[in-house]
Amino acid sequence: MAVSWLARLAARAPVPVFPALGMRGEEALYRLALSPDIKRVDSPRHASLLLVAGGVPPSMQQALRRVHDQLPAPFTTLWYRSAPLVELPQAAVTTVDSLDALPGALVESHGRLLRNTVGRSPRLLPDAPPHPWQGLGDDGHGGEGMMGGVPYGRPMAMPPTADLRDGLALDILTFRLGPFFPLWPPGFEAEVTLQGDIIQQFSVRSSPFPRALAPVFHEARERPVAIAVLERARARHHLQALFHALHLAGLEDLARHALRLADTCPSGDIVLLAKWFTAFERRLRRRGFFVLHLPKCGALRKKQAESQGGFAARAAGIERDVRAEDDGYRRLAFSMMTQQAGDTRARWRQRLAEIAQSFDLAARAQRDDMHTAQTDAVETPRGAWHDTRPKDTSHLLEDLLPGLEWGEALATLASLELAALSPWPREEPAETPEEGAA
Amino acid sequence: MILDQLVWPLTWVLAALVLGPYLLAVLDGLVARSLGPTRGPGIWLAPLSRGAWWLIQHTNVTEAPDGRAWRLAPALYLALAAGGLALVPWSRTWVATDIATSLVLWGSIEALATVVIFLQGWSANTHLTLVGAYRYVALGLSYILISMFVLIGVALPAESLALTQVITSQQELWNVLRQPLGLPLFLIVGLAITFRGPFNLADSTDLAGGTSADVSGAQRLVWEFARSAMLVAFSGIATTAFLGGWLGPWLPGPLWVAFKMLAVLALLAWLGPAFARITPERCVSLMWVVLLPLAFVDLIWAGVEALL
Amino acid sequence: MELLVLFVILILSLAAGLLLQWWPGRHHPMPTYPQRAPFLGGGLPDTHAWSRFHVRYYPMALLLIAFEMEMMFMYPWAVVYVAQGMKAVMEMGMFLAILSVGILYGWREGVFRWQ
Repeated sequence: MAVSWLARLAARAPVPVFPALGMRGEEALYRLALSPDIKRVDSPRHASLLLVAGGVPPSMQQALRRVHDQLPAPFTTLWYRSAPLVELPQAAVTTVDSLDALPGALVESHGRLLRNTVGRSPRLLPDAPPHPWQGLGDDGHGGEGMMGGVPYGRPMAMPPTADLRDGLALDILTFRLGPFFPLWPPGFEAEVTLQGDIIQQFSVRSSPFPRALAPVFHEARERPVAIAVLERARARHHLQALFHALHLAGLEDLARHALRLADTCPSGDIVLLAKWFTAFERRLRRRGFFVLHLPKCGALRKKQAESQGGFAARAAGIERDVRAEDDGYRRLAFSMMTQQAGDTRARWRQRLAEIAQSFDLAARAQRDDMHTAQTDAVETPRGAWHDTRPKDTSHLLEDLLPGLEWGEALATLASLELAALSPWPREEPAETPEEGAA
Repeated sequence: MILDQLVWPLTWVLAALVLGPYLLAVLDGLVARSLGPTRGPGIWLAPLSRGAWWLIQHTNVTEAPDGRAWRLAPALYLALAAGGLALVPWSRTWVATDIATSLVLWGSIEALATVVIFLQGWSANTHLTLVGAYRYVALGLSYILISMFVLIGVALPAESLALTQVITSQQELWNVLRQPLGLPLFLIVGLAITFRGPFNLADSTDLAGGTSADVSGAQRLVWEFARSAMLVAFSGIATTAFLGGWLGPWLPGPLWVAFKMLAVLALLAWLGPAFARITPERCVSLMWVVLLPLAFVDLIWAGVEALL
Repeated sequence: MELLVLFVILILSLAAGLLLQWWPGRHHPMPTYPQRAPFLGGGLPDTHAWSRFHVRYYPMALLLIAFEMEMMFMYPWAVVYVAQGMKAVMEMGMFLAILSVGILYGWREGVFRWQ
């Protein structure tokens, strides 16, 4: 009796969802973030629904099982464009294939979970400690000594040097931060060694999933495309990256605003978009995104910047942009922009400047119906695409992140685009008619 | 007699302890609504439905926590907030705890808050929560000084450390006008003590929830409630020290205190989501190199002003 | 009397906090080991988290202790300040100035840097 009114009250709150992103899962995340009925949480402990969006490769299924088991009861799972784990019972699995139906399905699942009419997900992994430790002694204590053995199933942290006489060597913590860490690109797994909260070592175990670009970038390598469409897609890509960085910075409302701007990019009124973006950039500055949050660390060296390409290279002062060699762009008086510092702040300044530049180019190109001239190379938001697609560069982090404090390291990661480009373009939803006057 | 001196102040403080965080949650909802579209059960029901979900969800356990300390931490934070709220004078005669050194007691409550927040993160024995706890202590050690210098500046014209005397000293002019640097600095301390907004180093998003990353269910409810309760207590002290407490025409004292507290809470609720989260290094530099000298200036100003 | 009220308030709120955490979970089963593992996005930790954590702000904490001692002196000083007049200003001014030199020194020595 008491449970039912409490459950009915709880069902009315925004649904806490933990998104575990697989390949091509970001579109679900962007749809969730804009839905006011759904609260996206950063830890599975805060969630009632595990949303698995996008295919999870078999190598990461054990990690998915671990995350699945970390949600506290009661919870259930929802699978968007993803094959559910076979050991889950049918009652605890809901599959959704349409993006528009996703928020509604989440709300419905949460409501049914609370009213006990949908199955609660069982635990997948066996209830056993990581190492057996109980029962070695009379009181069930385990382990073989002060700093040896496995107390409560895991060893204790040890200092990095073998020489224990040096009392100043403090302990290090090593752990693998897995593919479903919400503040990272999906699919990125790394082994992190922390001393205090400064990263001592960072080794990549699994690169992030390849990112899919808008189809217009792929078309631009076959035939001339309208510059307006290309620049709109570029701005959209950067705005979606900005969404992640703003979520990391704690500016949730600005993050949603960036996402809404990104959604209006393909078909919105370009002049209006440019105006909104200028106002948005002003708000970003006033709210302390640069001054308070972005660190001045994570500067790329010359060679690293060259191998990275794209806006990161231009932020480091390397003047390389395929658009500068394109006749169509030259007629629009395209001028390359660079920054000097090459660190995290410079990269975000560069990106914001490039978004504004994209809007400006798109406005003028749309007016004159300009097209690109060359088809052998295209400047993607990730870098120049000549013959081979931009490759994965996550090994850069192994050099860049050690010595940085945790928050700074994550901000640096969010400012870089490290994933390789996927050979297949993003699936665009059905074209909506052009809104607003050109 | 015992009714007057024990029961009434007790019920009043406990009522404020329950209502205050609820009203703060409603204010938070209002601020969120102004920042973007929200849906859900409406601002009055939203905090209750969030709390209902936390009550239904099971409380999490980690592999090898310090169980007692972990469960005690939110309850201790709540007790500290209640202690702070007990110091607030609601009218000339209506104070739950009227001691001669109430400012010192508030200072110790602020200091113990750092301990309690660290305990919540440390006891869980998980990696991200541990980093959150240690990171917060840097902020915790810095805000204490600023708060104390500002409050001592308030105590100078009152010639006493008792909050009741502080109010009486504001009869001609409130301290917010007499010592203009005091309230802005004190509000920053308020954001720091409840790790809200730009100072959210403890429960931040880059640690997937920080000290709360492995906390779920009823413990989360008590933790969030205690955070809000601490902000309510803080706003009570801010009202007393800077906005004249129960001083005001026409309306009875307690009503004035409630209004002023709500005003301070609204301001803090608005400031919270307004700024990006500051990095720990910049935070420590800001507190020690900018805000602490400003607190000195405020103290000197208060001293000069008290002698004139 | 006031301290009794404060004590009662503290005890009551502590008890309420503990009860509110314990009561909804009194029949809940103990979570399984996989649920209790630390959240690391699906990854595994090598060790327990408890360790000799390198606290980067240790020098700042020492500076804090110095200022705390000054604060202890300022509490009674604030009460007699108006009565004592300029003498009190001079004394505290000297104390503050000496400690401010400490902050300046610490700043130049990188005490506030996070390394």
